[in-house]
Amino acid sequence: MVQAILDAISLGGTYALAALGLGLVFGVMRLVNFAHAELITISAYILVVTNDLPLIVSFIIAAVVTALLAVAMELLIYRRLRGTGPAIMLIASFGLSVLLQRVYELIFGALPKSAAIAPWMSGEVKVAGASVTISSIATVVITVVILLIAGYLIERTSLGLQLRAAAIDFKTARLLGVRSNRLIAAAFAISGVLAAIVGFIVVVENPQVSPMYGVNITILALVGIVIGGIASLRGSALGGFMVGVILSLLNTFLGNARVYAYSWLFLLVLIILLVRPGGIMSKANEMERV
Amino acid sequence: MSLLEVKDLYSGYGKVEVLFGVSFKIEPGKSLGIVGPNGVGKSTLLKTIVGEISPKSGSISLNGIDVLGKGPEDIVRLGLCLVPEGRQIFGGLSVTENLQLGLTGRKDKSTSKKALDKVKEIFPVLTSHAKHQAGMLSGGQQQQLAIARALIADPKILLLDEPSLGLSPTVIKDVFDQLKSIISNGTSVVIVEQRAHLVTSFADETLIMRNGKIQARITPEDAKDELKLKHAYFGSDN
Repeated sequence: MVQAILDAISLGGTYALAALGLGLVFGVMRLVNFAHAELITISAYILVVTNDLPLIVSFIIAAVVTALLAVAMELLIYRRLRGTGPAIMLIASFGLSVLLQRVYELIFGALPKSAAIAPWMSGEVKVAGASVTISSIATVVITVVILLIAGYLIERTSLGLQLRAAAIDFKTARLLGVRSNRLIAAAFAISGVLAAIVGFIVVVENPQVSPMYGVNITILALVGIVIGGIASLRGSALGGFMVGVILSLLNTFLGNARVYAYSWLFLLVLIILLVRPGGIMSKANEMERV
Repeated sequence: MSLLEVKDLYSGYGKVEVLFGVSFKIEPGKSLGIVGPNGVGKSTLLKTIVGEISPKSGSISLNGIDVLGKGPEDIVRLGLCLVPEGRQIFGGLSVTENLQLGLTGRKDKSTSKKALDKVKEIFPVLTSHAKHQAGMLSGGQQQQLAIARALIADPKILLLDEPSLGLSPTVIKDVFDQLKSIISNGTSVVIVEQRAHLVTSFADETLIMRNGKIQARITPEDAKDELKLKHAYFGSDN
């Protein structure tokens, strides 16, 4: 039971971080960045290929490269398409996602690459009389710490205030002096770092990294930001957390029927959206893009 | 050199042209009204001045600096702030957070606290609601917050788009009284309104717009002549 609760919290926290990364970019650009998946993937690849280095060094390299790739996406693709309309931006993000998957295939090969990342995490310890894996405790600790840091950044700093204001109404935020290019680049960079952390958390549990490694988690995180409230950063994180917790509990308690876990999850999502179409935390979401 | 000078401005949305050769200027510490019926291009004019829309041709200079091609975030740093139509306060953020956002466009950050204190002095209601969500304020309080938020950036010129929209006559009077005190402190004010009588008696000069052009310029003295005002507003055929 303790393991089930820890697993649920750790998966919820992981999806909360992924959803927060997506929500930050959506907030400032009204862009659903499908290529976020490839940010998670590149982080996982780098952790695998730099496995010989000390873990902290390996992670720093992964975080820097992932953040740079996220900023490059904005500078080279999305910035040039700003003002073209939401459909074009969405298709561009799809295209970029597929393109990066093929690039990863060329660089790392089509077959999964793997390495034992932080093998000490697969050990078990006793918590309240029950055996639990170190990785699930570490994941809970990491996600709680990162969410607290992200919460501080978003709630207590000037950058966070600008990000929250831009998520509500970017046009008015610009009228008040919020520098759009800088803010969007910052949102992409933070989103990249969050993707790198998610990449680290998932690669410890599943070190078989392939070009589409980050796709599943990104789709579920997108579901999270929709049910949480797409224009609210708090809503994004909460929605992602809920999706992770529900999915983990369904997988644990459905037993042999766990193949239906996604069906139950999406049924719950539909019910939530029927009751709160704008998401749990949203009010009147403005969908206008920059 | 005028504080704000707009010369022969043509602007619009894509292929739809809205403004046709608009020219005017405003001096420091003065007030200017821009009135006209709905759809004549008043808001388009403001959006072009603040950099939200790129004009087709013409020039806009602020304190002698050409601002054409600059974005809203740069123009606010040059000393021009817009209080948009409908206030556009951030309803989900607190009153204090809304005011703090106003500091973003302020050049001199070292005097931010002083600026916050100063606007709270002009708008005391904001102090008592400092921690409340801005969306919970009344329409009049939200308008005061929107003006205060713009003032915090220390503008040389404040543009207001329909500041009386949705407000009761008593609240409108309060808002215009506060604008008077802002002007007396040296800030120029441009007010765009549909309701001509509110502005013509208030502003040093009022421009009357029709069909994307300035059709008449009237002083508070001229505005006392109802017939003259009516002709200027609706055209001489009416």
